[in-house]
Amino acid sequence: MAEICCEVVSDSEPAVSYEPSSRAARRRRMEIRKFRFVAGDELDNSENQKRPKLDGQIKDGETCRSNSALFSRNCRNAALSTIADGLLDQNDAVEMDRGVESEAMESELTVCSETPRFGYASVCGRRRDMEDAVDNKPSFSRESSEPESDLHYFGVFDGHGCSHVAMRCRERMHAVLKAEIESRPDPTSPIDWRALMERSFARMDKEVIELNKTLLRSDCRCELRTPECDAVGSTAVVAVVSRDKIIVANCGDSRAVLCRGGKAVALSSDHKPDRPDELHRIESAGGRVIYWDGPRVLGVLAMSRAIGDNYLKPYVICEPEITITDRAPEDECLILASDGLWDVVSNGTACGVAKMCLSGKGLPESPWAEGGEGDDKACADTSMLLTKLALARHSTDNVSVVVVDLRRS
Amino acid sequence: MADQDGDHESSSSHDRSHTCFRDWINLQKSDLDQLVKLLNPESGVEEEEGASSSSSSNKHFELCAKTVSHFEDYMRNRAELAREDISIYFAPSWCTTLENSLLWIAGCRPSMFIRLVYALCGSEMERNLSQFLLQGTSNGLLGDLSAGQLSSVNMLQLKTVREEEKLTSRLATLQEDIADQPLAVIARGATQVGETSEEADKALDDHERSMANILEEADKIRLKTLKELLGILTPKQGVDFLVASKKLHLSLHEWGKKRDRLHGRHRDARKPPPQSDEES
Repeated sequence: MAEICCEVVSDSEPAVSYEPSSRAARRRRMEIRKFRFVAGDELDNSENQKRPKLDGQIKDGETCRSNSALFSRNCRNAALSTIADGLLDQNDAVEMDRGVESEAMESELTVCSETPRFGYASVCGRRRDMEDAVDNKPSFSRESSEPESDLHYFGVFDGHGCSHVAMRCRERMHAVLKAEIESRPDPTSPIDWRALMERSFARMDKEVIELNKTLLRSDCRCELRTPECDAVGSTAVVAVVSRDKIIVANCGDSRAVLCRGGKAVALSSDHKPDRPDELHRIESAGGRVIYWDGPRVLGVLAMSRAIGDNYLKPYVICEPEITITDRAPEDECLILASDGLWDVVSNGTACGVAKMCLSGKGLPESPWAEGGEGDDKACADTSMLLTKLALARHSTDNVSVVVVDLRRS
Repeated sequence: MADQDGDHESSSSHDRSHTCFRDWINLQKSDLDQLVKLLNPESGVEEEEGASSSSSSNKHFELCAKTVSHFEDYMRNRAELAREDISIYFAPSWCTTLENSLLWIAGCRPSMFIRLVYALCGSEMERNLSQFLLQGTSNGLLGDLSAGQLSSVNMLQLKTVREEEKLTSRLATLQEDIADQPLAVIARGATQVGETSEEADKALDDHERSMANILEEADKIRLKTLKELLGILTPKQGVDFLVASKKLHLSLHEWGKKRDRLHGRHRDARKPPPQSDEES
């Protein structure tokens, strides 16, 4: 994993496609923003800015902690009052409003110029069941009391067994994250994203397992296979975009890819049972990977991590892998997608398509219909084009694609 | 139908059903010719631009509407005929074995329409991806399906699959009913296998009525799905879609004939219709 990423990263270093002048200008702007934002934080030099931080993935194995201890302080009210207190310290009345009335503020903040444009497409495709779910929440929380510290949330969930775990992730994951962010003891301190994402995924998993229990008595489709209701789960790839960082947490075989200077940089690595480190983890937990229409955990599940799938624990875990990447001026867009896209479209091709589409080439005057509310047309068109490409290449799965425009205006 | 003319009557209803199908195939062929002509205007005639494009759009729209109304007529006719003799529609002797193996409640699965859209919307794009990205196809065909259209098609697909499943489940129940009272008990109690009785005939008539109802509902879903789909597509895309669907249907009919011959199944061995539907 580390090797792969580093290789891609070094590839992307010479951002060929940008004019030097505008690139320099952009970087200057970026740096100004960055200094303002990171004031007091450790400062990266400009070289570092270009390089995504992909550390920690391999070492994450040991840093896995008991999740139960971390659940203790998740009360939403506590979270809100904590953040309100912190904000009051800074005499920022508007921010307090936001702490208390976060929902109402959200729509207003969406208009803020720093909010990245985004769009998505999610189709059933050649499957008869729709088990993918997508959720985008611009300005869903903030990192600090700074005026431009909004955090933007994007998530793709690809369910298996039934759709209810993916649907529940769509409904709840952002709220779980938000609660975790806003329940920090010291809201002025930088966020420990790794710990936070791990806690959030663990909490989401716990919620989903509870849900599975209650569904045993409901009329969900999978109830017909009652003993297997536990055999329902979902991938989760979640990206949080701040003014200067992209945090990606991934669990399963959906994927996040950054288009940087025309090159593709994978911000997550698929959890396949035959990935050497995953295979090792599964086997040391006492599990087996059996080849049955591809490698599968216990011959059942074709991914090694997922939310849900209680019956495959501890071999299939819900612990995400996290990457934290500094945004760079040559960043074009972020693509999150389910394997319905990645099975048939390479990271590089996806980035090529997205870059062309976003730069306005390639889309002739044609009666494009409007996208969803809050969506950006170019991004919606890009995600649609990628979806169409996946269908054209005969993807047999549901296809879900989120495109986030990272270019600074 | 239990009188001595029964045989003669049912064979004539069979012929009428066959004729109805043959007419439908022939009508599709002539519809296809018109649709193709509209889609690919004669060489030398430039695609109308500007002011005349709205009239060309009207032409597309009208032809789509006409084609759909032909589909509607066929369904109405066959619903009437099916009231007399339903079972044949579930495995028509006038269709090839290949076609019959693909039937869902005496016709195509409505969800196939959506699959066809997906196939068409991608097929042009892959041919030359980079050129597509630079210029787009901008020919107004299914390759130009917009984001909004794609999401509408997706919604339609989800709805159609749901409706299809519901009806499939009802058909399953009807088929299971055969192994239940009264028929199963009548069969078991009969001294001779296949013994006819008023009771059995009545039960079979009831069953056939239910089957005819299901056929009508399946046709309703097929028609509704087609209409909603054409509502999502632009008139030109609609023509593109209809051309592809007619070509697929007619091709399957021809491919099926070839395969039947290959396996020694001669369609003439069955009761021939008054006229052959073979052309040329």
